[in-house]
Amino acid sequence: MTIANTSRLTPYLFLAPSLTVLGLALLYPVGYMVYASFLNWNPSQHIGQAEWVGLRNYLFLINDPSFRESLFVTLKFAAAVVSIEMILGVGLALLLDRQLRGMTLLRTLFILPMMIAPIVVGLMWRYLYHPTVGPLNRSLSALGMETVPWLSDSGWALVSIVIADIWQWTPFIFILALAALQSLPKSVMEAARIDGATGWQQIWHIKLPLMLPVLIVTCLLRLIDAFKVLEVVLVLTNGGPGLSTEILSLRIARTASEFRELGKAAAMSNLLLLGLMVLTAAMFAYSKWMETRAARLRKAAEADAA
Amino acid sequence: MLRLMQSAALSAGLLAGVAFGALAGPYDAHKGKTLVVNFPAHPHYNAVMKVLPEFTKETGIKVEVDQLEYLKMREKQTLELTKAKGDYDLISYVVFSKADYVFADQLENLARFFMNPLLADPAYDAADIIPGYMQNIGVAGGEKGYLPGPTGSLFGIPFGAETSILGYRKDIFDKHKLKVPETYDEMLDLACRIPKLEPGMGGLASRAASGQHAAHAYLLHLAPLGGRVFDSQWNPIINNEAGIKAAQALKTIVDCGPEGAKTFGFAEAGAAFLQGKTAMFLDSTVFAGQVDDPTKSKIAGKVGWAMHPKGVRHGSQTGGFGIAIPKNAKNKDAAFLLMQWLTSKKADKLVALQGGNPIRFSTHADGDVNARFPYMKTFGEALKHADPDWRPIIPAWGKINADLGTTMSKVLTENLDIKQAMDGLASRTKAVMKEAGYDTFKP
Repeated sequence: MTIANTSRLTPYLFLAPSLTVLGLALLYPVGYMVYASFLNWNPSQHIGQAEWVGLRNYLFLINDPSFRESLFVTLKFAAAVVSIEMILGVGLALLLDRQLRGMTLLRTLFILPMMIAPIVVGLMWRYLYHPTVGPLNRSLSALGMETVPWLSDSGWALVSIVIADIWQWTPFIFILALAALQSLPKSVMEAARIDGATGWQQIWHIKLPLMLPVLIVTCLLRLIDAFKVLEVVLVLTNGGPGLSTEILSLRIARTASEFRELGKAAAMSNLLLLGLMVLTAAMFAYSKWMETRAARLRKAAEADAA
Repeated sequence: MLRLMQSAALSAGLLAGVAFGALAGPYDAHKGKTLVVNFPAHPHYNAVMKVLPEFTKETGIKVEVDQLEYLKMREKQTLELTKAKGDYDLISYVVFSKADYVFADQLENLARFFMNPLLADPAYDAADIIPGYMQNIGVAGGEKGYLPGPTGSLFGIPFGAETSILGYRKDIFDKHKLKVPETYDEMLDLACRIPKLEPGMGGLASRAASGQHAAHAYLLHLAPLGGRVFDSQWNPIINNEAGIKAAQALKTIVDCGPEGAKTFGFAEAGAAFLQGKTAMFLDSTVFAGQVDDPTKSKIAGKVGWAMHPKGVRHGSQTGGFGIAIPKNAKNKDAAFLLMQWLTSKKADKLVALQGGNPIRFSTHADGDVNARFPYMKTFGEALKHADPDWRPIIPAWGKINADLGTTMSKVLTENLDIKQAMDGLASRTKAVMKEAGYDTFKP
């Protein structure tokens, strides 16, 4: 073995311990879940006693209307909360990115909802939405308006959980967007102002494009979270009325504990994982494409200038 | 020769030990042992906790209790029971776990304990234990697999069991000269008449929230109205006339119920009654303890109790908890002694006096218990009609129950046509049953 060879191996040698830990901590559970998804496994059995059923769990899921409905509910929920939260969060950050008195306090207040345990958020909103003693309906009837069946109508129930989620997670986007805004290069802003860009032009053509990499990651994080949200829905509606708010993670939890079908629950989790991985890959591919495009434009501009 | 002598000596010693044990009392052989038991956080078991020191005082056997929220308890037990050596000597199980645990061969058959003269107390009087409870919670392997019958045997003893009962506001009934309903027709009529007589008040508080609550509320009416989920061949018959009538009954009750009734779980339905927002309450006997507690109830002293009304038959629910000895327990004999002591006449009364739910007829009729809880006698009468088969207890039930709960919720909130909803449910149930192998013997 030559010295060159040895030194080429050195980095891997140093990487080995962390790779081993990563493999054990990450791949083992995922592998276990993938394996379990091919079994007809009841929680009263050891995994060794469970019957191997191949792809039957996946086939069952594809044909299961309840699973499809819950997937659809999840997609609706995730699309609604993430888009509304992105708009509100970034909007708030743009509004509050200035030196005002008491700003620190205000920012802390804004991010409070995010720090509350989800179960508590669920309980709080459940009280707010209460049909008779809840403050929302009480205010509506005090104003002479008709009360809203927040949680007891299948149309409203999804809206209600969307509202609760927006209340809790907009601050997350707000603080990340604010951090991104404050780290933008001052010189660019100054140049834009000198060139006479209006406030809107600055936002559209400078701030937002420069914030984009951060926003993409933020959006991705929220999307992943929105696909996995459980506690708030569990407390607020437990999936009801009917299946109108039964998001995927709730269905997975119910399949494992209520229906006692660990194999199917594992198969569902795998599908969710695959979906999220595709989403993540797409997001990263998009931001990579944006970066290369920006680099190409910059090069072209430099060449023009030269 | 030496070996023969050794074994003779050993047998003599054993015999002497047995004789000594018999003389010294049944508990001496286990004195100083510590039993680890798993109980739910539930009003009945909170009462049990106050009585347990009495057992230790009487027997010298210590008891360590792991009390968990009941769904958590079930999850923990599921894992615990698959271990080669378990941590628990005695477990309390929710009635629907009977199917899972017995099917997985994880509970001790109690026959060998009741046959053992060193353990079984001849004065136990098992006939005094309410048969509906015993059949629903304790026995498996008979009719339909989950009921008693020629092939059945005992795996647990009801403890913390409950039935359904009708609570009504005596003051409201007196004011409008209403008759306490004895039949479903009368009850449904009153449920919708009361909101007109007492504006702002609902008729009957029922659970209705999507899932377990709606399913439970529906099944509560199915048995009295003459329905069953399956026929004797495991064909779903939930969409027959009785099945549809039960759904209509639930819808009527919820529509005439207090505001927001469509999202009520057990706690909310109870709270509506306690807050004086409904005139009737039809659900578990567990609830009764709070009604006359002025810190929790605005209707203390105003509530009367009656039997779950009759449809074509009496059919109040049976459910709650039982206690059993896991196959992987370490101290099975001592665990049996504890189980027997807890469900004996004496302990049943002690627990009842602390606010628990008795399982014996004698306790329900007991003077001291009735002096403290005057409704006990009515409960005892009602329990003569408790129906052990009001809900199937099979491993596939969890899934069917969830579907039933969702379907009922759709009927209640989305005005789904009842016949259509029940037909859909029956056909999905058929598929679940087929997948679980229940049509293996069908021609």
